Amino acid sequence: MNPSSYILIQILTILAVAPLVNGIIRKSKALTQKRQGPPLLQMYWDLYKLLQKSAVVSETASWIFTATPYIVLATAVAAAVLVPVSTLIIPAGFPGDVIMLVYILALGRFFMMLAGLDTGSTFGGMGSSREAMISALIEPSILVSMLTVGLIAQSTAVGEMMAAMKLVTAPLLHPVYLLLFLALVIVLLAETSRIPVDDPATHLELTMVHEAMVLEYSGRQLALMELGAAVKQLVLITLLVNLFLPHDQLLTMTGSGAVLLSVLLYLLKVVLAAVGIAVIETSTVKLRLFSVPNLAALAFILSFLGFLQYFVLGR
Amino acid sequence: MVGFRPEQVYLLMMLLYGGAALSALLLRKHPHWGNLTAHGLCLAAAALGTAASLLQLTVVEAPLRVSLLQSALPLIGVDLVIDRLSAFFILTLSVLGGCVSIYSFGYLQHYFGRRDVGLFNFLYALFILSMFWVLTAGNAVFFFIAWEIMSLLSYFLVVFESEQKENQRAGTIYIIMTHLGTSFLLVGFMLMFSFTQSFDLLAGSATIPGWAKDVMFILFLIGFGTKAGVIPLHIWLPYAHPAAASNVSALMSGIMIKTAIYGLLRFVLGYLQLQHAWWGMLLLGLGLVSAVLGVAYALMEHNIKRLLAFHSIENIGIILIGLGVSFTALAQGHALVGAVALAAALFHTFNHALFKGGLFLGAGALQLATHTKDIEELGGLIKRMPRTALLMLIFSLAISAIVPFNGFVSEWLTYQALLGSIGPGQAGINIIAALAVAALAFSGALAAACFVKLFGISFLGLPRSEHALHAREAPASMQLGMGLLAGLCLAAGVYPLGFLRLIDQVGVALTGTAIAGGLQGGWGTVSYPLAAAGTSISPPAALAVMVGVGLAAGILLRVLGGSGRERRYGTWDCGFAAINSRMQYSATGFSKPLRIVLRLLYRPGRELVVEEGRSPYFPDLMKYKVSTEAIFEKYLYDPGLQLINRFSSKLEYRVQTGSIHMYLLYIFLTMLALMLYNRLV
Repeated sequence: MNPSSYILIQILTILAVAPLVNGIIRKSKALTQKRQGPPLLQMYWDLYKLLQKSAVVSETASWIFTATPYIVLATAVAAAVLVPVSTLIIPAGFPGDVIMLVYILALGRFFMMLAGLDTGSTFGGMGSSREAMISALIEPSILVSMLTVGLIAQSTAVGEMMAAMKLVTAPLLHPVYLLLFLALVIVLLAETSRIPVDDPATHLELTMVHEAMVLEYSGRQLALMELGAAVKQLVLITLLVNLFLPHDQLLTMTGSGAVLLSVLLYLLKVVLAAVGIAVIETSTVKLRLFSVPNLAALAFILSFLGFLQYFVLGR
Repeated sequence: MVGFRPEQVYLLMMLLYGGAALSALLLRKHPHWGNLTAHGLCLAAAALGTAASLLQLTVVEAPLRVSLLQSALPLIGVDLVIDRLSAFFILTLSVLGGCVSIYSFGYLQHYFGRRDVGLFNFLYALFILSMFWVLTAGNAVFFFIAWEIMSLLSYFLVVFESEQKENQRAGTIYIIMTHLGTSFLLVGFMLMFSFTQSFDLLAGSATIPGWAKDVMFILFLIGFGTKAGVIPLHIWLPYAHPAAASNVSALMSGIMIKTAIYGLLRFVLGYLQLQHAWWGMLLLGLGLVSAVLGVAYALMEHNIKRLLAFHSIENIGIILIGLGVSFTALAQGHALVGAVALAAALFHTFNHALFKGGLFLGAGALQLATHTKDIEELGGLIKRMPRTALLMLIFSLAISAIVPFNGFVSEWLTYQALLGSIGPGQAGINIIAALAVAALAFSGALAAACFVKLFGISFLGLPRSEHALHAREAPASMQLGMGLLAGLCLAAGVYPLGFLRLIDQVGVALTGTAIAGGLQGGWGTVSYPLAAAGTSISPPAALAVMVGVGLAAGILLRVLGGSGRERRYGTWDCGFAAINSRMQYSATGFSKPLRIVLRLLYRPGRELVVEEGRSPYFPDLMKYKVSTEAIFEKYLYDPGLQLINRFSSKLEYRVQTGSIHMYLLYIFLTMLALMLYNRLV
């Protein structure tokens, strides 16, 4: 596939599906608690509503505050381009590198933390400060686990890594991949502000991290921030499911029908992952902020053990 | 450049630096004209240096030899040898030096009438010249002399504002540490001579036995490591940088500590040749420790220049990780991994000169505008100094290795080289390499946290002091100097291939392996030449996608969205009275979570003084002080110092008796011993 249509498919698929993932998570959480919960498409309506509204901007804020929503969305979408939804559509030699993925997301996070400090509000600073801690603790796990997969694939290009994982039969039954998978699940929960690291539903100053940083946002700026967060969440879910639950090796046919089927299978996996996140969120409690380092340490140990296992057991 | 040979350009450049120093002294009475002339000449010299080194990195292949002084003494001649390794570092020196000189036009104005600008510029120009000599010395004796001149001149520049007590202390620590390092180098050079009968760096080291090479490696490592600020030899850096003027700090951090990297490459890779993989692994281990601890200590600092000094330690660590991988791989015969790692280290050296130089210049601009180095007293400066703020933001992003700036590309190459050095059947290297990956990731994220703190606390929010409230934008020349560096940071981040091609020429000269062909992909893509499958990044494409999405979102919102009206209103204050600047997060508060998490490292202490008034709930005065422990100083240097003090105070009574007869006896015994030695050996 040529690069421009690949980029277009990636951006459109992920942008379109990202809010739905939040809907599925919220709905399944509600169902486990015997509530009816909001409709699946609620976030689309929320975004539409927010886009219609005017924004209130703090008098203290500078251009950083205004630019941040655009930067957050742009980095999330650029990250979406790097993580293919299907291995069948990757153009040959596409420069989609996993290290670059991490550092593109870092750009968005950098600005989000600055925006938290920009309004001079205590809440924003608190959110930024906590986010700085959590991201610093979680970063080594992402890179060690990703580089271990990269070592097996002989490449850190996300597409190549996914292609290499297709050759592994039942990755999650293999100790190396199981350890890396568990490490990345923790990373996913931390990076997407989920319980047990953060609570997306809270507005209590004792507990909020991500919500504290975006507290001053309203209207269309808030819409962009929320959409950016949803896209980032889907990008990380995509990375997780396409690496450790590869599906394209199951397809025997070729052509555009195969691509369609592959994308559908991918969507199915995303739904599964979303339900999985909901189960984790309902079955665990939010950790005290200073217990998060223990979780991060667990993630690092898992990824490092995975790395060591690779030399003991091979692929 | 037709008709010109690079030698002549270099000679002219040296003359210009000399001229700058002289004119600065001659025009002492007219600080304005003296400053203009001195930095004008320095700028011209930097332009010549850039041109000549670029010429050498692209066209001229053979090393140049310039003999300035043929001495009657056989060992001591001032001959300069400029090969591609030297040329690369001269390029870094000249680019940074040029930008700093532009900056100094405006910056030094605050010295006019208060300080001897002529003397300052005299030292400054000679300091650059001495660094040029260090980078080009063709024999160890001249290298040593140039090294010593460089150290002394930088010492004078550090203590230039010598009436302040802490500057004197900073200078003393600096000169003691630098001479400690130099003494190790001296022993190394003596060993070199005793085995080869020559100080010539181009002569082979084949006659040196293996054990002596190991010893020399360790000596060079300690000697150069002290100058580079490798942990635990780093203690002078956080004192010297805040004491020096900002343009000097920029040069010291941007290039002077890098002369140590040059020294390691010249003396270990070039002269000794690598003989064991553990040399590289030792460097890798030191780099790993320096990278993590450097940034961890930086996070706790609120003095902007101390903070930046600790970041220099971190970045030296990252460079050493690259260098360590390179030395390990080359010693094992993996030429390509070695070449990639070397390119990563050299590129990071260049990048660090750009963004750290820029950050120090920015710190100078802040200090000039607000009269403080403490970021806790700043705030809201983005409204008062918008251009400086933008430039500092660019440097902050670049040093945090964030796409699309240059720091990312060199760290990406380092990651790839680390990955390439991992292979079956070498447990030690694998584990260290995986730890280095983790360390690089950790230090990157901590650096981002630290620069969010630096930028967020000093430029955003409400001003925390009168000084910050009345700050004014820096003069145009200072902005231009920083702006050029910021532009280069972006250029080297978006189109790294142009820079990597130059660096590849250095790699070819040192290792004989070219990688530029393998690095090059289409459309500005940098690919990793070793991966079986394609591994590549495309910074321009990433930038294009991000800018495209941002613009598209903006346009779509304008077309489809609602009113798009923005209302300005006060920050949400929970319904209380208006928020004031003291309710904001402070830098201490911002770094508190990490201070608690890493308490094992920091050993934080706190001190709370409450002076109660009429009621315990409304105290008259509260003082809160947080401190962290400097582990290395407390547990390594202080006991060492005490040991020396105790030993020498004992010596004072036994040996230094004050009686002239005893001293005559010492002289006599020494003569006797020397004669006997001469007779026997």
